Amino acid sequence: MATVLFYLLGLVTVIATLLAITRRNPVHAVIYLVNSFFALALLFYLLGAPLVAAWEVIIYAGAIMVLFLFIIMMLELAPTPEADRMGPTWWQWLPVLLLALALVGCTLMLIGVDAGVAQGVPRWYATPRDFGFALFGKYALAVEVVSFQLLFAAVGAFYVGKPERKRRQKKEEGA
Amino acid sequence: MTLSDLHALLPQLILALGATGILMVGAWWPSRAPWVLTGVALSFCAAISAGIVLPTVTEVGGMFGVTPYARFFTILWSILTGLTLLLSLRYAKVHRFAGAEYTALVLFAGAGMSLLSAASSLVGLFLGLETFTLVLYILIAFNRGEAIGAEAGLKYLVMGAVATGFLAFGIALIYASSGSFHLPEAMHGLQIDGQMRPLGLLGWAMLLVAIGFKVSLVPFHLWTPDVYQGAPAPVTGLLATGAKGAMFAALIPLFAALGTLTLELNAVLAALAMLSMVGGTLAALPQRNLKRMLAYSSVVHMGYLLLGLMSGGPDGQRAVIFYLIVYGIATLGAFGVITSFAQADGEPQDYETFRGLGYRHPRRCSALSAFLLSLAGIPPLAGFFGKFGIFHAALKSNHHLLALVGILAALVSVSYYLRPIIVLFMQERPAQRLRPGCTHEFAVLTVCFSLVLYLGLYPGPLLELISQILPSP
Repeated sequence: MATVLFYLLGLVTVIATLLAITRRNPVHAVIYLVNSFFALALLFYLLGAPLVAAWEVIIYAGAIMVLFLFIIMMLELAPTPEADRMGPTWWQWLPVLLLALALVGCTLMLIGVDAGVAQGVPRWYATPRDFGFALFGKYALAVEVVSFQLLFAAVGAFYVGKPERKRRQKKEEGA
Repeated sequence: MTLSDLHALLPQLILALGATGILMVGAWWPSRAPWVLTGVALSFCAAISAGIVLPTVTEVGGMFGVTPYARFFTILWSILTGLTLLLSLRYAKVHRFAGAEYTALVLFAGAGMSLLSAASSLVGLFLGLETFTLVLYILIAFNRGEAIGAEAGLKYLVMGAVATGFLAFGIALIYASSGSFHLPEAMHGLQIDGQMRPLGLLGWAMLLVAIGFKVSLVPFHLWTPDVYQGAPAPVTGLLATGAKGAMFAALIPLFAALGTLTLELNAVLAALAMLSMVGGTLAALPQRNLKRMLAYSSVVHMGYLLLGLMSGGPDGQRAVIFYLIVYGIATLGAFGVITSFAQADGEPQDYETFRGLGYRHPRRCSALSAFLLSLAGIPPLAGFFGKFGIFHAALKSNHHLLALVGILAALVSVSYYLRPIIVLFMQERPAQRLRPGCTHEFAVLTVCFSLVLYLGLYPGPLLELISQILPSP
């Protein structure tokens, strides 16, 4: 049963990701990506990592994708053509619906077959406490390096995205 | 993390924390030259501390080694960072770079390179590589006024992101197959009945794609000429020398750990090396732009380095390290000359602008010629010994065909390296004067020029040093 679920979820992930990278409308792409993340989260759960599964939903599907949607809408990167004003056509919403239904089905199946509840916590199950110790103990240096990277990425994005100084523009206009 | 761990990471900490400090203080006190000079001082401090402060542990966090090998490259990349900053001093002023940000980014790139060369686990390799790649995305597009720079930055970003995806996937597959990130266990674990596990082979295929992108081997080299052309010249120098050199420095222990399993990858590696040598040479021949020519020639050099890496053994490893040092010095020098000629409205790249320039700016043009001749491998200069070592190691390990192709590529390379020299010195039309050089640039060029000469005449001491620091098999 778990094997069937695994392949089913794998299929959903791959289809959703393929649809995500082939959509022209960025909002549609984001919706498919959220689907793919949900399927991934269930896969992680199936592999005995409920913590990672929860984060996949909370951080990736929840926080990051909402941020994506927010930026897309704020910068108006997905203007709706006149023809689409009536709302999406059936071939635009049907795949999402099917994928979502598949995910709901898989979740229900997972609840039905969850062996972890009957047998107690599996051996490889990492509690948030274990995870925290590994992250800030064994991999503390890696966390530090990554945080440095993020700092410099933020600085760089700020620098490259910042408009040129006004003084220089004035100079050029005057010249 | 204990105090002795921090003590062992002192050089990298100087670079990274120095970069952060400059960034923070720079926000209140924006200025250019003082920050760049502080960066130069910090990188030389890091180099000195890597040389004299001896670590008490051999590995930090199970990710980065503090062996003599790692220390050697830390010194090398710190000095490179310092020289790059010194070279950029005037360039940054002309192009109105934000001094604190630029210095901080270059310093952090140096820290990343030294982390990558010191990587003793696949996680360390990934982190080190991403550290300086991330910084280079920004540095390449640092010239905000120029569309070509933004284009180059975007190309490198997209290509680099794809390569990172392959790298992460490859590392994950190798981990799944061997159950360890740590070298050499991660590679030993791939073995089953004297062969490589299929999953490990798949992981290595992905790893090779990522490596091919990062060091620009044919057929993953397509970004190279555009990025070289579009990036600011000092950044191109850093990218061409440090970024690729650090990758090779990390590959040497990786391949050493792989041991006899390398034989299974040999067919692919041989194809990559052959394609790089032949493809790079053919593409470099018709170039009329110095930066693009250097980009394609770097592809050829990466082919030679891969050949040395395949040869393996202490001979091959020593040849690779020596080669990447002399290649780095000559390349840094060549981009240094381009930097010193750069004006606010762009850098001279077309051979047309160089015509007859040898008589207007004899010192810098002679230095440029020396660097190009060293890259071509003309005997009295350092490049000759580099090539000699590589081909010697290749012949010794029975890579006859590849060595032959390499020697032919080296012969043909003389043609495209001589063309700019002919344009500089043998064509009549008196060129316009370009920008006069300044002291800092001359200092860096003098260092590179004397090293190219010195290592060509006395390669012995450096080769001896490299033999001593080689990772034990």
